[in-house]
Amino acid sequence: MIHIKNMYFSYEQSSYILKNLNFSIQDGSYISILGENGSGKSTFIKLLLNLLIPTSGHIENTFIRTAYVPQRFDSLNTQFPITIEEILTCYQKARHVSGKKIIDESLALVKMQDYKKSLIGTLSGGQCQKIFIARALMGNPDLLILDEPSNGVDIKSQNEIYQLIKNLNQEKKITVICVEHNLKAAIKNSTLLYHIAQGVGHICNPQDYIREYLIENTGVENYVSI
Amino acid sequence: MFQYNFMQNAFMIAILISILCPLIGMFLVLKRYSMMGDTLSHASFAGVAAGLMVHMHPILSAFCLTSVFGILIEILRRHFKNYAELILVVILSLSVGIAITLISSGLVHANIDSFLFGSILTVTREDFYIVLFLSILSLFIISRLYHSLMFMIFDEEGAKISGINIKFINYIFAVLVAATISVSIRIVGILVISSLIALPIATALQLKKGFKMTLLFGVLFSFIDIISGITISYWINAAPGGVIAIMSVLVLAFVLFFQNHHFLGNIHLPNFKNMSKINCMIANERRDSDGKRKFRIQSIFKPAWHKKYQTTKFTFKTSQSEQRTINGRYSVSKSNPRR
Repeated sequence: MIHIKNMYFSYEQSSYILKNLNFSIQDGSYISILGENGSGKSTFIKLLLNLLIPTSGHIENTFIRTAYVPQRFDSLNTQFPITIEEILTCYQKARHVSGKKIIDESLALVKMQDYKKSLIGTLSGGQCQKIFIARALMGNPDLLILDEPSNGVDIKSQNEIYQLIKNLNQEKKITVICVEHNLKAAIKNSTLLYHIAQGVGHICNPQDYIREYLIENTGVENYVSI
Repeated sequence: MFQYNFMQNAFMIAILISILCPLIGMFLVLKRYSMMGDTLSHASFAGVAAGLMVHMHPILSAFCLTSVFGILIEILRRHFKNYAELILVVILSLSVGIAITLISSGLVHANIDSFLFGSILTVTREDFYIVLFLSILSLFIISRLYHSLMFMIFDEEGAKISGINIKFINYIFAVLVAATISVSIRIVGILVISSLIALPIATALQLKKGFKMTLLFGVLFSFIDIISGITISYWINAAPGGVIAIMSVLVLAFVLFFQNHHFLGNIHLPNFKNMSKINCMIANERRDSDGKRKFRIQSIFKPAWHKKYQTTKFTFKTSQSEQRTINGRYSVSKSNPRR
């Protein structure tokens, strides 16, 4: 599990981006992190991945194998001359994962075996996302962190990706933390939502989040659930 | 020409350089650090001048000073992340400043031209052994760090999360660049070494292959550039550095020319000789699940007058598995019956 206590974070001399976060993530849960652009979602993820260190407070992480699926258009250079097999081999070597068939097996999980020799730049957004999920699954992770998996992906592929993530969460008991802009997917799949607004975060269940969202955007306080 | 010892030495060093330069160049070009090669080649100039001044072997002194400057660049880049380009200019200026000061003050009593433009005549057996040692060491380190370097350049954040020590590898890589430049300056010359690091890889990138294949093609193009450059420079009695640089650009232009024809033709050309006669394409036609017609282009052929041509939109995969759509004509021949 991950236990965050009184965590503050700021970049150098600037004001706090995240303020007094207190939050626990239980094993086997599926949590979506929601918030406006610039609310601190990506910073929060970087803190969980140990890429940044909290200014104050602490994060206790008991997960052993954390895997990360980045945003497709965030860091990926589509002109990079690399095949899918090479991407997975790099990861395999870095994670010291053994097994000759591990690449084929992880590609089979996302039904992308036929693209093993393809260049990354020739794949669509959905296919790329599946490859990164396949890569993340290579080390049998117990925690999977995804940054906007539906970004730049068509509806059909989105459904496939979310179904895959949900299966991993429910069948393989992998804990999932997902930064989301896709409200529909977040509400449909998550067991819990974590809403970050102006650096302050709080846990809410999907129904509460919809209520908050409606109040904030339409001023409607009462809504009828269907 | 191989009856001369200096030519044997030059060719043996050239073969080592042709392997080493694209190996380093691949990572530099993809990291978008091509200018680092240029900066460190100037640092090696200062190293050569300092070595000649204190009567140290110039390749070793160049390696030492270039390594120091390479590591300095990495340290400064870490501290001034937003001024990476400016740091290269600062180090370049400092290196050239040191070199020019040492040479112009009369402290160096040797001909520095052979290091600036490259030379075949002055290559000694001792040079060869030093180059051989540094090359083997560099190749060993690259082979050990190959996957980490590839991962780091493709996805630095992912590599960091996966436990790769980015900082350490960057320092090691800076020393590798220094070693490559130091072993190359004897033949290629300080002024054109950066072209030999970047151009063979730029040429190989045009082929749109995977990482390993791009690297192998880079080595092949580098080998062609250097060997042809040295051979021509021997016959026309010119400095090898200049000829190698010209050959590198010519090979790049040659590949670009045929790649452009590849893009125009949109398929892999089976025979370059017939290219001027090509104006028709054969395609296999099939219907996908939505009932749309799709054509997989098989080859280009010389059109025959009795064939019936149709204009249509082609969606197909090229030899690099890229999906393309073009307007074009296709014919129905007996070998490709329309279904």
